[in-house]
Amino acid sequence: MALQRTSRGLVAAVSLAAAVGLILTGCTNTGTGSNTSSGSSEQKVKSSDGPTCDISTYGGEKIDLKDAVVGFSQSEKEDNPFRIAETQSIKDEAAKIGVKKLITTNAQSTLSKQISDIQDMISQGANVLIVAPLNSDGLEPALSAAREKNIPVITVDRKLNAEACKDYVSFLGSDFVEQGKRAADQLIKGTGGKGKVAILLGASGNGVTTDRTKGFVDEIKAEAPGIEIVAQQTGDFARDKGQSVTEQLLQSNPEITAIYAENDEMGLGAQAAIIAAGKTPGTDIQLYSIDGTKNAVSQIVAGQYNGVVESNPRFGPLAFKTLKSFLAGDAVGQDIIIEDGEYDADNASSKVDGAY
Amino acid sequence: MTAIEPSAGPASSSQLARERAVGVVQSFGAPIVLAIVVIVAAFSFPTFFTVTNLTNILLQSSFLLIVAIGMTFVIVTGGIDLSVGSVFALGGVLAAYASQWGWVAALVVPLVVGAVIGVIQGALVAWGGMAPFIVTLAGLLAVRGIVLAITNGGSTTPLITDPVLKGIGQGGFASIEWPVVIGLVLLVVGIVLLTRSRTGQGVIAVGGSENASTLMGLPVARVKLSVYVLSGLTASLAGALNAAYTSSGVPVVGVGLELSAISAVVIGGTLLTGGKGSLVGTLAGVLLLGVIQNVINQVGSLTSSVQSIVSGGFLAVVVIIQTVLSRQQRL
Repeated sequence: MALQRTSRGLVAAVSLAAAVGLILTGCTNTGTGSNTSSGSSEQKVKSSDGPTCDISTYGGEKIDLKDAVVGFSQSEKEDNPFRIAETQSIKDEAAKIGVKKLITTNAQSTLSKQISDIQDMISQGANVLIVAPLNSDGLEPALSAAREKNIPVITVDRKLNAEACKDYVSFLGSDFVEQGKRAADQLIKGTGGKGKVAILLGASGNGVTTDRTKGFVDEIKAEAPGIEIVAQQTGDFARDKGQSVTEQLLQSNPEITAIYAENDEMGLGAQAAIIAAGKTPGTDIQLYSIDGTKNAVSQIVAGQYNGVVESNPRFGPLAFKTLKSFLAGDAVGQDIIIEDGEYDADNASSKVDGAY
Repeated sequence: MTAIEPSAGPASSSQLARERAVGVVQSFGAPIVLAIVVIVAAFSFPTFFTVTNLTNILLQSSFLLIVAIGMTFVIVTGGIDLSVGSVFALGGVLAAYASQWGWVAALVVPLVVGAVIGVIQGALVAWGGMAPFIVTLAGLLAVRGIVLAITNGGSTTPLITDPVLKGIGQGGFASIEWPVVIGLVLLVVGIVLLTRSRTGQGVIAVGGSENASTLMGLPVARVKLSVYVLSGLTASLAGALNAAYTSSGVPVVGVGLELSAISAVVIGGTLLTGGKGSLVGTLAGVLLLGVIQNVINQVGSLTSSVQSIVSGGFLAVVVIIQTVLSRQQRL
């Protein structure tokens, strides 16, 4: 009996350990969500036309950032270059400015966790918040908690379906539709406007996927009637998924001449699949993607990749600059769109060091 | 195993008393660990033991609590329900969609659909004799597919504007929000059902030994069916409340929720093998997960990988303490 009891305890412990393990691994691949930025280090503002916001309209008190507790809510795990660079940039800039305290949280791709992360930071006395939203909708409880205390919220990289200067102060980020369009332009130029193209889509239900698809498909339709899009399949922004989907695509559509991947990770997966199929990436099948990670850009240098449109994740300097002006009483733009660079065979070798 | 001994034959009173003592520790192991963690956190972080922070933790945990109540019943029968995360998402999307016809529809539609999913899964387990793990894994995949299909591949998020429904998600009674009240009421109902009713005895007996239950003439299949229906109901209700709370039916919520619910139930002292379970323990398990998360945010400088290591390690420690506690009591 004693033995049985011990073993039952063990079974419970082992099962739980397995469950925990599943929780941990379950999240690892969801990270590659997204964004773009330029390979050069600091972000530049491309446009911030349109309505502005100032502290007297939004409410709240003017405060020096050096006396402020700053909360940063990251949406996805820092397991991909974009998120790593984004979080690091916020931390670096906070240290440079010398804020009183920086609290960082990570929602690990769970919306409810992002809400609680933000609420936790507010109850810890955060004076300002920088949020990288996991989803465009659903953060309302967190935003209203911030609203109640007149805490300014700056959102970065993904835009909220909410009212600027009321539910949050400003949005800083890239124009994802434009990124898709620029990738299409690169592809049209590289292929001479002819060929059969496959698209590796990002995660379903993600606004970034929708925008990068729309920008690309519309531009191809408008500018290159000779290009036929023969397949669109999701690779979930993950390298392994990008690879396995490309393997299947190359078997079912051996005539594919170019691939557009909605992020670099999937593009690198596609590259591995092309090599496995006995073809040469970059020449037999051209490759284009969005992000501007060092891994992808260095493949252009190696001649195994054709083009990358950048999505700059280094939001730190711009986010704190915006906050500083806002807290000093100046008007800041509600929509601050950053300028993204791009890499091709001509500039990759000189710009690869600036990639993230 | 110990739980069915009384029903398998007459037991001596001292044996019964010992069984009871073991049961008490098993149900109170998790609350004890929870109390320790809360005390340590209260002394370590000045912003932890504040009314705002504690009510935050309660509110954040209430949705998981509701899911975990249904899950406890399923696990006590020796089953498992992996579909709850997907049903949670479907419940939220349906609630948000149905809110255009009023708040009653927004609650009834998800509940009906959740019950139907429970009936299908429960029937396959009870009468089809299929493994709950596989049946509900199929449910996890299929229901998530339905969620994506009705939201345009996940790109549409139905929004909630109905003021009553928003009030249910965001308002409250004194400083306690409605989802917390609903979760606690359901917990009490669940405790009465599990420990004080014939149905509850049936649930425990089936989990203890299916053969013995059949021999005793218990409606084994009906008991199994009913726990999956209950789990479908609680998961979809939690999803609907979460939608009311966030004012939107976001299609991507609830991924991995089944694992959190199962962990909370098991930390609470319910055996994965069935036959023994405690809803008070489940409450403690849910709160422990919430407190761990909160403590990580109180530290506030950990990277996501370190956070995963800390929460995994924390859970392991909790289970070890709990196992040691209940073993000592048994000797």
